[in-house]
Amino acid sequence: MTGWLATLLIFLPVAGALVVWLVPMPRGAAGSFALLVALVEVGFWINALIRFDFERQGATPNFDQQHTWFSDLNVSYHVGFYAFSFWLAGLTVIVAAASIAYAFWAGRERPRAYFGLMLFLTGATVGVFASQDMLLFYAFFEAMLIPLYVLIGVWGGPGRMGATIKFVIYTMAGSLLMLAAVIAYGLSQDTFDLIDASQSSSGWIFLGFAVAFAVKAPIFPLHGWLPDAYRESPPEVAAMLSGVVSKAAVYGFFRICLAKFPEPFDDYRTLILTLASVGLVYGSVLAFRAQDLRGVIAYSSLAQMALITIGLFAENLAGLSGAVLQAVNHGLVSATLFLLAGAIERRAATGDLDRLGGLARGRPALATVLIATGVIALAVPGSSAFAGEFLILAGIFPWGWGWAVVGALAIVLAAMYMLRVISAVLHDRRATTADESVLDLRPAELAIVVPLLALLLALSAWPAAISDHMVENSGDIPALVELNE
Amino acid sequence: MITAAWICLLSPLAAALLITLGGTAWSRRATGYLATLSTAVSFGAAAVAFFALVGRDQEHRAELTTSWTWLAAGDFDVGLTLLVDPLSILMMLIVSGVGSLIVGYSIGYMDGEDEERRFFAYMAFFVFSMLLLVQGGNFLLLLVGWGLVGLSSYLLIGYHHERPSAVAAAKKAFIMNAFGDATMALAFFLLIQRTGSLEFAAGVEWAGGEDGSWAVNLVALGLLGGAVAKSAQLPLHTWLPDAMEGPTPVSALIHAATMVTAGVYLLVRFGPLFEHAPRVQDLAAGLGAITLLVAGLIALVQVDIKRVIAYSTMSQIGYMFLAAGIGAYANAMFHLMTHAFFKALLFLAAGIVIHALAGEQDMRKMGGLRGLLPRTWAAFLIGAAALSGIPPLSGFFSKDAILASGLAGGTYGQLLFVAGLVGAFLTGLYTFRMVFMVFGGEPSAYAQEHLHKPDRTEPWIWMALSVGALAVLAVIGGWIQIPGVWHPFADFLEPAVEPLFEPTGTQDAIASVLAVSVGILGIWLAWWLYSARKEPVPRARALQTLLERKFYFDETYEWVFYRPATWIARASRALIERPLIAGTLTGIAFSARRAGGEVAETQTGLVRTYAFVIATAVATLALVFVWVR
Repeated sequence: MTGWLATLLIFLPVAGALVVWLVPMPRGAAGSFALLVALVEVGFWINALIRFDFERQGATPNFDQQHTWFSDLNVSYHVGFYAFSFWLAGLTVIVAAASIAYAFWAGRERPRAYFGLMLFLTGATVGVFASQDMLLFYAFFEAMLIPLYVLIGVWGGPGRMGATIKFVIYTMAGSLLMLAAVIAYGLSQDTFDLIDASQSSSGWIFLGFAVAFAVKAPIFPLHGWLPDAYRESPPEVAAMLSGVVSKAAVYGFFRICLAKFPEPFDDYRTLILTLASVGLVYGSVLAFRAQDLRGVIAYSSLAQMALITIGLFAENLAGLSGAVLQAVNHGLVSATLFLLAGAIERRAATGDLDRLGGLARGRPALATVLIATGVIALAVPGSSAFAGEFLILAGIFPWGWGWAVVGALAIVLAAMYMLRVISAVLHDRRATTADESVLDLRPAELAIVVPLLALLLALSAWPAAISDHMVENSGDIPALVELNE
Repeated sequence: MITAAWICLLSPLAAALLITLGGTAWSRRATGYLATLSTAVSFGAAAVAFFALVGRDQEHRAELTTSWTWLAAGDFDVGLTLLVDPLSILMMLIVSGVGSLIVGYSIGYMDGEDEERRFFAYMAFFVFSMLLLVQGGNFLLLLVGWGLVGLSSYLLIGYHHERPSAVAAAKKAFIMNAFGDATMALAFFLLIQRTGSLEFAAGVEWAGGEDGSWAVNLVALGLLGGAVAKSAQLPLHTWLPDAMEGPTPVSALIHAATMVTAGVYLLVRFGPLFEHAPRVQDLAAGLGAITLLVAGLIALVQVDIKRVIAYSTMSQIGYMFLAAGIGAYANAMFHLMTHAFFKALLFLAAGIVIHALAGEQDMRKMGGLRGLLPRTWAAFLIGAAALSGIPPLSGFFSKDAILASGLAGGTYGQLLFVAGLVGAFLTGLYTFRMVFMVFGGEPSAYAQEHLHKPDRTEPWIWMALSVGALAVLAVIGGWIQIPGVWHPFADFLEPAVEPLFEPTGTQDAIASVLAVSVGILGIWLAWWLYSARKEPVPRARALQTLLERKFYFDETYEWVFYRPATWIARASRALIERPLIAGTLTGIAFSARRAGGEVAETQTGLVRTYAFVIATAVATLALVFVWVR
C-alpha cells in the first residue's frame, strides 16, 4: 500500500471533486462532503508521514511509483515524494482543509462547482509536488492554475475580472516558457523523467524554468498579478494562492533549477539574488504603506517569497533547510492571515486600514489569534519563522555579507508593517466599524484558524522537525556545502 | 539543580498559558494570584539551584544541559540548552525575586482594570522570557530570550491599547529593539561562518585565537548593538522614556529592574569575548559614560514623575556599561542588583502617588504629599537616597565600587571616573528635585482636591508589602559587599567572570569620599533651588529647550530614518508599482471587461483570453519543436 500513497494523495481530492461535480447532492451537502474529503486527505498525509523514511539515501523518492505513458518519448506517470516536497504537500493538504472549512462556514454561491474546484486545486497542487516526470509536472502545474482562474473570476470581489485576466496572462506566459523548457530539456535528454535526466548546462532552458517559477513565486518585478489577485479572491482562495500555490515555485527551483542546472544556477545566482533582495525590501516597504489589510499580506508575501528564494540560491545546507522551513511557515502564516482578514472583512465590511481600529476591546479571541499570528509573521526570535529566516540568512552570509545585511534590514521592516497592521485593526481609537454588534471570532472560526496557529507554535518549539528532516532524502541535489570555512 | 532551573523557567510560562487558555473561567483577582504564585515558585526554584551551586567547589559551578535539538541543518545544530552558573543564578534570583514582588504589587495596582487577565498573562510571559534570556546556554537561545522580552515589553507598553500614544510607544520600543536583534543576528552569522557553532565556549575560544582581529571586533560590535538597544543606551535610547506609557508595575519590572539591564548581562557574560576586542569594550564604557551624563541632564527638566525615573534608569545603566566596559564585571552586576531594588522601589512608590492622585503624573501639580502620604514618602526617600549613593544604603556601595574601578583603570578609566562623578552630582540633583517637587512644601491645590487615600483592603496590602520588602532590600542590599573589606559577591561570581583588575584601598577611599560629597552637593543644590528658596528656579532658555527636546534625538531619527522610509515607500508605489508593474495589462484587462460586460457574467472575457493564449501557446510550441529538432 505504501507505493500507492503518493497517487492516493493526488487523486483522492480529484475523485472528491468529480463526485461533487457529477453526483447530484443538495446544496449544503457539497461543502460538508468536500470538508470530509479534505480531512481524510490530511489523515492520509499523516499516515504517510509516519511511514516516511527521512533517512533514505540515494535518488529514489519515498512512495515511488512509475508507469510508462508514452514509451517512445520516455514519458511516464512517475510520482513520489522527497522529504522537502513531502513537507510542501503536507502544507497543501492542511491549508486546503482549513480553506475548504472556511468556505463551508462562510457559505459560497454555487457550492457544488465551488467545492469541486477547491478539491481539484488541492489534488493538482499535491500532484505538482509529487511529480517525478516533467510532462506530468507540467500537466499538474496547469491543472493547478485552471481552477484558480475560475475561482477568482467567478467568486472574486468587484474587480475580479481585471484580476483574473492579469493572473491568466502572467501565469500563461510563465507556463508557456516552462513548457518550451520542458520540451527542449526532455528532448535533449531523451527522457522526461526527472530522476533519469542528467544535469544540463544550458542557460536558455534554465531561464525558461526560472522565469516560469519567478512568475509563480512571484519575484520582483514579475509580480504584476499579485496585488489584484490577492485582493479580489475570496479569502480562502487567497490563502491557497499565497500559502500553497506559490510554493510550487520553491519546489521548481529546488527540484529542477538547482538539481538539474547547477552551472546556470551558479551563473545566474547574482542576478537572482539581486532581484530577490530588491523584491524583499520593495515588498516590505510597500507592505508598510499598503492601505488595506490584504494589501499588507500580499506585499509581505512578495517579500517572504523573495527571502525563500535567497535561501534556495544560497545552495548550502542552512540555506536550503531554511528555505523549506520558511516555505512551510509562510504558507501557514499567510493562510491564517488571509482567513483572519476574511473574518475581519465580514465583520467590518471593509479591509481599509483607515476605517478599522479598536477591535481588540471585548474581542479577546480575535486579538489573541491575530497578535500571535502577526508576531510569528514578523519573525520574533523564538518563532518558527525566525528559525527559518535565521537559517536562510546564515546560509547566504558566506556568499556576501551584503545579502545578509539586506535580509536583516527586511526583518526590521517586517516588524514595522506587521505591528502597523496589528495596531490598525485592533488598537488605537475605536473605529465606527468596530461597534458593539461586531462579534468576537466564533467557535467555528476558531476551530479553523487555531489548528493552523497551533501548528506554527509546535514548529516554533521544534523547527528542526523540518529543517533537520529534509537533507538526507532530497534527491540528486549537488553536493551541499557545510557552513563554516 | 537542573530540575530546579527548569521549574524556574517554565513555571511562569505555565501560568501565562493557563491564564490565556482559561479566559473568563478565571476571576480577575485569581489571575493576579496565579501569576504571583508562579513567579514565587520560580524564585524558590532559583534559590534551590543557588544553594545547590554554592555547595559545589569552584571548578564545578557551571552546568550546561540540552533537552532537545531546536534548530539544525546538517552539521550545524543548536540545542535548547540551559546554562546554570553563578552569573545566570544571580540573574534568575533578581528576575524572579523582584519579579514576584512587583507582580504581587500589581494585584493591588491593577485592581479594577477591566483587562487584568491579559495584564497578568503578559507579566508572567515576560518573566519566562527574561529567565530564558539569562538561562539560555547558547547564542541563539540568548537571542530568542532577547526577542521574547522585547515582545512582552511591546505587549505591556501597549497595554492601554486604546491610547494612541501607548500604541506608538510600544511600536517604537519593538522596532528599535529589532535593530539590536538584527545586529546581534549578523554577529552570529559571522560566528557561524567562522566556527560552525553557536556555543558560548566556541565563540569565546575563537575570539581568543584571533585576538583583536577585525572579525572579533565585528562580532563584539554586533553584540554591543543588541546590548545598547535593549539597555536604552545612546544612540538607541529614545524608546525608554516613551515606554513609560505602560502601567507603572511594568515600568518597575521591565523598564527598570530587569529587562533593560539585559545589555549589562550580555557585556558581562561575554566579557571574555569582548576582552579580545578592546576597542569595542572601550566603546561600551564610553557610551555608558555619555549616556549617564546625557540622561542625567535630561532628567533635570522632566516634569513627568515616571520619566524622571526612566532617565535615571538610563543613567544608572550607563554606570553599569561603564563598569562592564572597563572589565569590572562583578561591580557592574552588583550595581545591577542594588539598582533593581531601589529603582523598583522608586517606581512602585511613585505608582502609589499616581494612584492617590487619580492617575496624575505631572510633578508640577504635586507637592506637599509628605504629610498626606507619610509611609510612601519614607519609602520614596529611601529609594531616592539609595539612588543618590548616600551611605549606608545599597546604592552607595555599588556605585562607589564602579567609580573606584574607574580610578584604577588607567587614563581612560580616570576620564570615565570624572564623568561618573559629574553623573553622581546630577543624580543627587535630579532625584531630590523630584523628591522636593512631589513631597516638599505645602500641599498643592491639585493634591488637596484629588487626593484619595488608599483604602486598606486586601489588594492594597499587597502593594504595601511589596514596597516594604523592596525598601528593606534597598537599605541592606549593598551590605553583602563592602569595597576593599568584604567581597563574597565578587567571589561568588568569579568562576563565571573574572575582573580585569582590582582597585587599591586608597582608590576605594578616594572614590567613596568624592562620590558621597558630590552626591550631597547635588542634594543640597536641589534643596536650595526647589525647597529653601521660594523663588522660581533660574534657567537659561537655550539650554532648557535643548534639554526639553532631549537633545533632538527623536527629531533626528524622524528625519533620517522614518521620513525617508515613508518617502521611499510612496515613491515606490507612485513611480514603480502603479505605472510599471500593477499598471501593466490593466488596459487589456479593462477592454476585455467591456467586451465581456454585455454578455452575462465573467465567462466571456475569460474564455476569449484563454483561447487566445492557448492559440499563442500552440504556435510557440510548434516553433520550439522546430528549433529543438
